[in-house]
Amino acid sequence: MTLPTAVFPLAVTAFGAIAVLLLDAFGKRDSKTPLAVLSLMILAASAVLAGRLWGRSAFGFGGLMRLDDAAILVSMIVLLAAAFTVLLGWQWNRRLDAAFGEFYGLLLLAAAGLMIMAQTADLLVVFLGLEVFSVSAYGLTGLKRNDDKASEAAVKYFLIGSFAGAFMVFGLAILFGLNESFGITQTAACLGTGLPAQLGFGFLLAGLGFKLALVPFHMWAPDVYEGAPTPIAGFFSIAPKAAGFLVLSRLVAAVPKDVWKGLPIFPFLYAVAAATLIIGNLAALRQKNLKRLLAYSSISHAGTMLIAVLAGDGASLLFYLAVYLFMGLGAFAALTAMSAPGREYVHLDDFAGAGFRYPWIGAIFTVLLLSLAGFPPTGGFLAKFLVFSAGVRAGLVPLVVLGVVTSLIAVAYYLRVIVAMYMRDPAPGVDIEAENPPALLVLFLGLVGVLQLGLFPANILHFIRQAAASIF
Amino acid sequence: MIPAGWFFAVAAILFGLGVTAFFVRRDLPTQFLAVEIMLNAANLAFLALAKPASAAAAQTIVLFIITVAAAEAAVGLAVILVVFRRRKSVRSEDLRILKG
Repeated sequence: MTLPTAVFPLAVTAFGAIAVLLLDAFGKRDSKTPLAVLSLMILAASAVLAGRLWGRSAFGFGGLMRLDDAAILVSMIVLLAAAFTVLLGWQWNRRLDAAFGEFYGLLLLAAAGLMIMAQTADLLVVFLGLEVFSVSAYGLTGLKRNDDKASEAAVKYFLIGSFAGAFMVFGLAILFGLNESFGITQTAACLGTGLPAQLGFGFLLAGLGFKLALVPFHMWAPDVYEGAPTPIAGFFSIAPKAAGFLVLSRLVAAVPKDVWKGLPIFPFLYAVAAATLIIGNLAALRQKNLKRLLAYSSISHAGTMLIAVLAGDGASLLFYLAVYLFMGLGAFAALTAMSAPGREYVHLDDFAGAGFRYPWIGAIFTVLLLSLAGFPPTGGFLAKFLVFSAGVRAGLVPLVVLGVVTSLIAVAYYLRVIVAMYMRDPAPGVDIEAENPPALLVLFLGLVGVLQLGLFPANILHFIRQAAASIF
Repeated sequence: MIPAGWFFAVAAILFGLGVTAFFVRRDLPTQFLAVEIMLNAANLAFLALAKPASAAAAQTIVLFIITVAAAEAAVGLAVILVVFRRRKSVRSEDLRILKG
């Protein structure tokens, strides 16, 4: 009997999550540091096990789990995002009165759910993975249970998320009735067959769209980001996007190229991408709370990623996700570092003069914001460039023009933060506790990642092209 | 025997009622119940739409979905309870600290 190696990375994360939860419940120790260390070790073990399968396309559970290169790459992004989040929460949780062991257990469980989504070509398994993620995510959002904002965010996330989940199940029921299978290939093949298939697919996309925070399904995102613990908001900004967009691009890749543009789904997604770019960027302009600003910024980045999906270009999508991992989570690392016992500083005014008072945080945050805005030579520029050129090659010129114009609008709100940090007098009353090595490490890794991907992308692009070739 | 199409009609009506109730009602537990009705409508649709050859698969799937719904209910009711403890209210229009 051969060992089901394809299941190992997922099994390590999932059983690790349960072990961490049990240790927290029955352990006698008050310190949460051992749990954080254990979580990092579990995530690393899972990443090593996944990495060893690179280039081999392993299968498990009778083909339901499918660990191809794209799945491995996205799993790596999810695992790295979870590891960064553990590091960010290390000190932040204690300062902000949220030092619960559940932070680590639920985070690992959420990561496991997203890995399930990435590692399958079966829509029912996608749904189950999505729900594993969602149920953990509701808990993570409301972790600070003595905080009005956190509980409000959790209940909003829960209601809207389960509403979207029900739509997804109904869509799956229709699609299952049509072709007696949940395989992505078979489902995509029946898309051209008429209205019921389109309707089922539309419901399915609505469910996915909620999780990816695409306009018009984005209303929950700013509230959840604001109410959730800051490290968790950082995790939400990248990890579900990585898994969800991989599922979406698997679906698109399975539709024959000549049929794809004739389907009513295509203009629908086209309009969603346009609306996401416009509304994400315009709404970000009015935000004074940096968590909300980054929430709208992540919505607008999801719009850009959707251009890559519509263009059917897996390589530029995966590269964008890799860059966004570093710049998105890096930006949240800067917010996490701006905290003191009992309070955090996330308002734009709190950042006034921060560039001089906290030179390292200020300088790295500036680079990350420039990358989010898409300035060369950062990774953000190259990622946008690759997506836009893929869009032009696929004939999506109006959408690409819109993407470029909205990127210019986006420069305004990113620069406003930089201007506040360097050109305004220091805000009174802001006194952060700078002693936070794990968060500074994430900030530094974010900087390294953004510059590495921007200046020397050749090695990583080689891997990413290989992964994109395996999407289907 | 009642044709399967009628069962699907019931499922579609239930789903529509669930969606309507979700938007019309203004208290959290009832909105949550509306979502549960939508999920059960989807379960019924699974059974109604399954062809004879895949009926066993459809019934298995329904068990999975019931499990998922139970997990969601556990977390969701806990979250609603936390909100109620802090504010002594479960009206959804009272949820307006977060906006911008």
